[in-house]
Amino acid sequence: MSRTAGGDEYAFEVLVRRHQASILNLIYRYVGDRTKAKDLAQEVFMRVWQAAKSYEAKAKFSTWIYRITANLCLNELKSAGRKKLIFHFSNVEGAETGVEALSDESPSAEDRLLADERSRQITDALQSLPENQRMALILKKYDDLSYQEISKILGCSVSAVESLLVRAKKNLYEKLTSRGK
Amino acid sequence: MGDRMKCQDVQKKLSPFQDGELKSKDQDQVAKHLQGCPACQEEFAKLERVWQALEGLPEIHPDPEFYGRLIKKINEPYESRPLSGFQEVFQLFSSVIGCTLLIAGVLIGAFLGNFLAGSDLFPFRSTMASKSPETIEVVSFRVFDPVPPGTLGDGYIRMVSNTEIQHK
Repeated sequence: MSRTAGGDEYAFEVLVRRHQASILNLIYRYVGDRTKAKDLAQEVFMRVWQAAKSYEAKAKFSTWIYRITANLCLNELKSAGRKKLIFHFSNVEGAETGVEALSDESPSAEDRLLADERSRQITDALQSLPENQRMALILKKYDDLSYQEISKILGCSVSAVESLLVRAKKNLYEKLTSRGK
Repeated sequence: MGDRMKCQDVQKKLSPFQDGELKSKDQDQVAKHLQGCPACQEEFAKLERVWQALEGLPEIHPDPEFYGRLIKKINEPYESRPLSGFQEVFQLFSSVIGCTLLIAGVLIGAFLGNFLAGSDLFPFRSTMASKSPETIEVVSFRVFDPVPPGTLGDGYIRMVSNTEIQHK
């Protein structure tokens, strides 16, 4: 990071390649739109480049960049008038998706239409969560961050993160089971 | 009753237990309780099903050109970058405001010109109204005189001239 702060483009390239997948997927899961996720990921790294000189290594670099990303995502939704972004994750072959995973029975992987519908339901349920609950859930589930790290990223206490996650899981369960009926 | 309270306490801790965020002592206590409590097992199973369902969301992979486009955008001149929505609106708004102010300025100037030409405040009004166009044109050029008609200096000279005539 210190080399990046000194304007070293090669060091910056290494840094981008190391973090681009996690940042891109964090944004994608949060906003639910592939094109928007790519644009916002680019914006995140532009901000990293611009702010590199003022970066102080008080926190982990990953926490710093996640914080930039979280702020950008939250601002993006605000600027879009908190409009619900309708999207649909494409299915990944072999991936278990949707509310069927909530039942004890195995999902039918052959029924593509049904799988698409399940995928839509689960992504809609995720999108319907309040912004901070959604961000906390994504950071915990997909990036496996500790409550301490999430609290630094979201700028709240550890106990607040715990509450956010309790409510997020409860809400998600209710949404998924009510839609599955 | 004691057991039910215990279940309530345990169920409050199920989410951090699932995330591995409890202290090791609490983590062990919850795990032990779960082994013998079907009600808490059911609650924990709900959390596990939610977690399992979320695994179905696919990942996207970064474009190989991602860095190339990024560094190109960073190095491109600021002016050539596409404007954000706010900047576009602001630029449009400032252009509209600028044009409106310009038009308003011209209209106010025209109005004031007409108004002053029709009032006593305008220095040439009395002479212009009674003279032919050719004369007006000549009079208009008198603005380049050392003491143009209608100015304070002109008024002073006239006043002094009248006083001298009266004395004679």
